Amino acid sequence: MTKARTKRRSTSPARKSETREEAPFIAEYLIRKLKRGGADDVIVNATTEEATQLKFSNNVINTTKTWHNDKIDVFVSIEKKLVATSIKELTGKAADDVVNKMFKFVKAALPTKEYKGVAEGPYKYKNIPDTYDKAIENLDGTNVDILNACINAAKKNKAKRLAGVLETSVTNSYLLTSNNVEVEEKGTKAYFSIRAFVDKYASGHQVCNSRVLKKFKPETSAEKAAIIAKQAVNPKHGEPGNYDVIFSPLPFSNFLASFGEATSIFNVESKLSCLANKIGKRVASSKVNLVDDGSLPNGFGTSLSDDEGVPTQRNILVDKGVLKTYLHNTSTAKKHKTTTTANAGLVSPSPFNLVLEKGNFNKEEMIKQVKRGLIVTNVWYTRFQNYESGDFSTIPRDGMFLIENGKVKGAVKELRISDNLLRIMQNVAAVGKDQEATFGWEVEIPTVTPPVLVKDVRVTKSSN
Amino acid sequence: MDIDLDLAEFVIDYAKKIGASYADARLESTAANGFVLKNGIPQISGFDRAKGIGVRVVIKGTLGFASTNDLSKESVKRVVEKAAKLTGYASKIGEKVKFSDVEAHVANYKVKQKIKLADLEPKDKLKVLFDAEKAMKSTKAKVPGRFFSLGDFYTEKYFVNSEGSKILSSIPRTDFWYFITIEHGARTAQRYWQYGDSGGFETIYKHNFPKLLKEEVLGTKKNLEKGVKPPKENVDVVIGPQITGIMVHESVGHPYEADRVLGREAAQAGESFLTLNMLGTRIGSGAVNIVDDPTLPGSFGYYLYDDEGVKAKERWLIKKGVIGDLLHNRETAAIVGHKSNAAARATGYDREPIVRMANTVFKPGSYKEEELIEGVTNGVFIKNFMEWNIDDKRLNAKYTGAEAYMIRNGRLAEPVLKPTIEISTPKLWDSVDAAGKNIEYHSGTCGKAEPMQAIPVWFGGPSLRIKNIKLK
Repeated sequence: MTKARTKRRSTSPARKSETREEAPFIAEYLIRKLKRGGADDVIVNATTEEATQLKFSNNVINTTKTWHNDKIDVFVSIEKKLVATSIKELTGKAADDVVNKMFKFVKAALPTKEYKGVAEGPYKYKNIPDTYDKAIENLDGTNVDILNACINAAKKNKAKRLAGVLETSVTNSYLLTSNNVEVEEKGTKAYFSIRAFVDKYASGHQVCNSRVLKKFKPETSAEKAAIIAKQAVNPKHGEPGNYDVIFSPLPFSNFLASFGEATSIFNVESKLSCLANKIGKRVASSKVNLVDDGSLPNGFGTSLSDDEGVPTQRNILVDKGVLKTYLHNTSTAKKHKTTTTANAGLVSPSPFNLVLEKGNFNKEEMIKQVKRGLIVTNVWYTRFQNYESGDFSTIPRDGMFLIENGKVKGAVKELRISDNLLRIMQNVAAVGKDQEATFGWEVEIPTVTPPVLVKDVRVTKSSN
Repeated sequence: MDIDLDLAEFVIDYAKKIGASYADARLESTAANGFVLKNGIPQISGFDRAKGIGVRVVIKGTLGFASTNDLSKESVKRVVEKAAKLTGYASKIGEKVKFSDVEAHVANYKVKQKIKLADLEPKDKLKVLFDAEKAMKSTKAKVPGRFFSLGDFYTEKYFVNSEGSKILSSIPRTDFWYFITIEHGARTAQRYWQYGDSGGFETIYKHNFPKLLKEEVLGTKKNLEKGVKPPKENVDVVIGPQITGIMVHESVGHPYEADRVLGREAAQAGESFLTLNMLGTRIGSGAVNIVDDPTLPGSFGYYLYDDEGVKAKERWLIKKGVIGDLLHNRETAAIVGHKSNAAARATGYDREPIVRMANTVFKPGSYKEEELIEGVTNGVFIKNFMEWNIDDKRLNAKYTGAEAYMIRNGRLAEPVLKPTIEISTPKLWDSVDAAGKNIEYHSGTCGKAEPMQAIPVWFGGPSLRIKNIKLK
């Protein structure tokens, strides 16, 4: 549920109530005070979040968690001196303290010469479907029943031990800027992560997420995790070498998230990207079509606007293997003589939802194409040796399966992928047709991707 | 502390009133400042004030955690009631938690600051970053990527539980981090490292970052310029304290976390190759002695009482190559019939305390680093590293060296390019034949749990000699 606020308030935050209802008043108060003190640009983003988590392992709930968080993010620029803060109290006194400290901080700060300002509103915001669901907000204990059903579904599929989390949240946010931007948003989220074990060395991991309850399918994830675990029993030690690898959505989204981060102009400038000087050039196989879509219905990262209040949009990042754009905010776009992609991040532009366009293959068809290969269902601990070159390694975990002459030959273990991100993207040989939405520990940017076949992946193992 | 401490006691009483058989509360206030310099240009500076309360309750035998940063009594009551209701409902498929018995403590401790964090102006702090930038330029090397950040944090915490503990602590911390890209011809290398301590701003000045960064750049440049491929045959390898540090953290500290061993972190952080029946068995040579000690003065992971109110002490993880204690909180200790050794930590009031390392250290041996090198006829010295990772059972690790040199007849020779150790944990500790006395403490922000809890730790040790291993 999202709506643009049309009527400005003009009262001071000295009103007695100190609840989240006061957020718009405090936001406006902060902007007025900071502008009066000489600020050029001010952005205030007030959020209130209520969240719960059920953490489970060994088939029982270990801990329930309940959170309430109020937060006001404030950004101010005065003569290109930039200061940001985050305060956690929605009170008039906290607002006054922030104003005083910001001026003190600005006085001592040095200008960021490359700063070129923030977005100038007003903007119209389109309603984005499936971003709020009252059913998630009002779960009230039925999340325990949902989790119980998931545990039972995995057990029915022969899983012995289950661990993970089931989370739900509702967030109210109110963004107001000194540059005619005002946007209010309410969103819900549900997230599930489950790892199923048949024994210590046979496991499967799945995640799912949704903004609305009717599209949230944790039981399906639980069943799939258990099926992978069951198939992964009695793994043999894998051999190093080059393999054609079918990456399930979870591990491939790990690579896509790294690739998506590399499209941020901030990372390009900081040598944290392998995509410098590659606009208009081939950076992936022609089978790769990748977008970032901050306005994706039911997208886990979807928002009405970016951190400056610019309405989110669909940006084509890679078209048939060719890099089309970096991600920008208003300031970086002006510096590079282009337009914002609505991906602020006031410091670093960032993707919202990465979506890899689906291809034509089902999993069986991909397996048939492989003479000597692996199916990798999850990766863990991806580390870059050199972000600029794209050299990295990552460790397959959970079910990993050997393919010989188009047939799955059983589970393998204890291998490492030691390769290069550009090389992985350029060696994409087939894209599956069944997309999955992923997010989690190893995938920090919400990503939607099908399984992907990558040719000639370098695989190593401990030689000691 | 600018929070009414009575709120913690009020919450404990209220939790008991609504049916909690156990309750504890952490009131916390953290004031933080942060500065970033990217390629010589200051980015957004920031300050932050976080305060709130985290409460644990045991309802019908199951553990519930609640937190809020709205510190009105009404809000705190509402969140605790919500948590109690959810936990009561969850108890039908909930673990029946037991805590190991511990003594109740009443204490008040604080880490002293010679130069108070609050006394410095933002420009004084930014100067640290500009001095680092100047040092880069003075090397005349090509360093096209220069990213420096500086943070300081002052955390005041008040812990209370329903068993009578009341512990007030004040811990200031500082944190400097750099990420640099060094070029020579077509070759590039990237290095990042962190320096974190507890104490005032004097901890920043003691490191002499300009000198450290200059050495780093020149060493890496030489490596890019003249580095040869690592030898193909098995060789003896001497590693510097930075690598020893990351190895004890990844290959010893993590697999020794009892919650991993018991499967409680199985979903994300993972489990452990260690099992309870391996305690007391050999995992390394007699030269291997590793502890974890939260009480190290000045350390990044410093505390005297953990987030369950248990008094901290040094924990022996490996003694003369034999597996010693796991790291326990009260819950895991009770499961295995031990006492908690004070490893429960949370990154803030809004996170559940779980089993964490503090400062994990390989105890020094009796050799000078030069003596370790003198003992090698054909080998490689690896001073520091770029890339590393380890599987989630902590059995197979990879460390890729940054600055490294061949050792020929006991002397350092030509640089070696990206020597990589890919090794199993038992093989690693079994192959250590000697430890230096040149102990160094390094710092990191260790990740675990969901939602993520990135917690300050030290890891360290001396240079080590590892016999007869393969490099890639």
